[in-house]
Amino acid sequence: MAFTPSNFLNHDLGLVVTFVIAALIMTWLSYGLPRFLPGDFVTATYGASQVTLTSEQETELREYYGQDRGFGHYLSRVARLDWGYSYAFETPVSALFFSALPWTILLMGSAHLISMLIGFVAGVEAAWRRNSPFEKGMVGGMTVLEGIPEICTGVILLFVFALQLQWFPAAGAETAYAEKNALAHLADVGHHLALPLCTLVLAYFPGNFLLTRNSMIMVIMADYIKTARAKGLPPLRIRYVHAARNALLPVATRFGMRLAFMITGALVVEKINAYPGVGTLLYNAIQARDLPVIQAVVLMSSLIILTIFFALEFVYRFIDPRIRYAR
Amino acid sequence: MHVNVQGTLRRDPWFLSGMTLSVFFLIITLLGPLLAPFSPWNMDFIPLSPPSLTHLLGVNDGGQDIFSELLYAIRNTMIFGMISASAALVIGVLLGASAGWFGGLVDLILMRLADVLLATPAIMILILVAALFRPSPHVLALILSGLMWPTISKTIRAQTLTLKQSLHVRAARQMGGGSGYIIIRHLIPEMFPLYLIGFAAKARMAMFMEVSLAFLGLLDPSRKSLGMMINYALQFYYMDIWWHWLFPPIVCLSLLIMMVTFLAISLEKVVDPRLKVSLPGRAL
Repeated sequence: MAFTPSNFLNHDLGLVVTFVIAALIMTWLSYGLPRFLPGDFVTATYGASQVTLTSEQETELREYYGQDRGFGHYLSRVARLDWGYSYAFETPVSALFFSALPWTILLMGSAHLISMLIGFVAGVEAAWRRNSPFEKGMVGGMTVLEGIPEICTGVILLFVFALQLQWFPAAGAETAYAEKNALAHLADVGHHLALPLCTLVLAYFPGNFLLTRNSMIMVIMADYIKTARAKGLPPLRIRYVHAARNALLPVATRFGMRLAFMITGALVVEKINAYPGVGTLLYNAIQARDLPVIQAVVLMSSLIILTIFFALEFVYRFIDPRIRYAR
Repeated sequence: MHVNVQGTLRRDPWFLSGMTLSVFFLIITLLGPLLAPFSPWNMDFIPLSPPSLTHLLGVNDGGQDIFSELLYAIRNTMIFGMISASAALVIGVLLGASAGWFGGLVDLILMRLADVLLATPAIMILILVAALFRPSPHVLALILSGLMWPTISKTIRAQTLTLKQSLHVRAARQMGGGSGYIIIRHLIPEMFPLYLIGFAAKARMAMFMEVSLAFLGLLDPSRKSLGMMINYALQFYYMDIWWHWLFPPIVCLSLLIMMVTFLAISLEKVVDPRLKVSLPGRAL
């Protein structure tokens, strides 16, 4: 299809509409679903929870939630970060969420960055050495590793490195109340990060490796690679400058599809290592049946995931200019 | 779509190990209650006792036999995965085939819906629903399949578009075959291997989700589940329970996920001849 401005605009608009609808659905679910609970919001929320409310607190809550002014009002409350007050944690919900979020971003961000880098380089190298013992062993090992979920690696690593060898702490993100200078503090954070990070890297790495290898093998067979070889270019340049760029696209698109999996795994890994991120917050809120916190965590994480998806669409175009004109 | 499925698969070690595992787990799923030596809800035994001949994997903190618990947990996870994957498959195939066959407005609406669902994070909706209403696991499995069908229906739609042009479909149309007849008699049987891939991939996702939801404490605590067993055992991590209480569910869970992963990978290779070159397990 030829490139026309209207065509281009159409696709962009479709993309934006898709994501706005998805975001609205998520927000509406978090607004609408509690309304289907029996009784009013306050009894439904706190009836089964471990929190006992005094009668003043209960009237206050009734007043707060009773002023139901429709979906528009809810949207504006969400935007104003006014997500209610958690009686299980005795803190505003937004404060809870934003104190947990940086740890999750640190953990997930570094896990993705590391596993993508290593996975990509290993995949490219393996594809280049096709049918060598190195490649065959890697592919077999990674296929097996792909079948081991995060829960299992997390528990095994915790057992070996935190309990048996005692190299790494079993819980937390930093040593509490320790007064240290900035550098020692950084080392402390890294020390606590190591176990959950390794778990997630072990979970993400095989997928990145196998995808890169598969798409790289298809690319290597293309004619332009033959040309590059015939020209006598150094192999390293052919691999990374000519071939790897084209092999990158399937890896990036499949990343989006695997994200739902990865989020689930990260929630669980945080709990296993008692890492104070959003996953542990969610777990504690579920244990205490603290609905406002669950609601906020679910809604905000969904919106963040949607934003990442949306940003990825533009990354695809940056990686592969053909997409810009394809639709 | 004419591939020699059997011949290729029989020589694939990944497929064979996947099949072996699935036979093993199917037997446990079908015969689990008969094989279990005790009722997993029976709390008569001495809590936290180590493995013995009567209690192969010992007894948990509530005085329940861990081996029986394990058998029921595998069964529950398998059933959840099966229900969710089959429902997602049925929805995905029907919607994908109709989107490809009818085209036009039907196609547009269905594929837009699929795009929206692909963007919404399924786990978050499941967490919200499970936390608010505490529904039965079967309801959750069906909700999950309502969120998972888009990937299946996209591949089915693409395949339908090519099949639409094939001779036998055109002949059936010439002879006055209606849309429903052609979709059911000509399109759906033709795409058979695609369903197996879709089923394996979705079963993998569903089992993973079930275990995670149970681990997070969102499923009925009296229902035995691998995730819940791991979570409870982890609370006694400082005791000597690792080998008989914590590792058995972990090994079983890994084997379950490996089973569906191996099946999905080996089947994908058969269906997509381009992948035959690139996917592991079988040299050119």
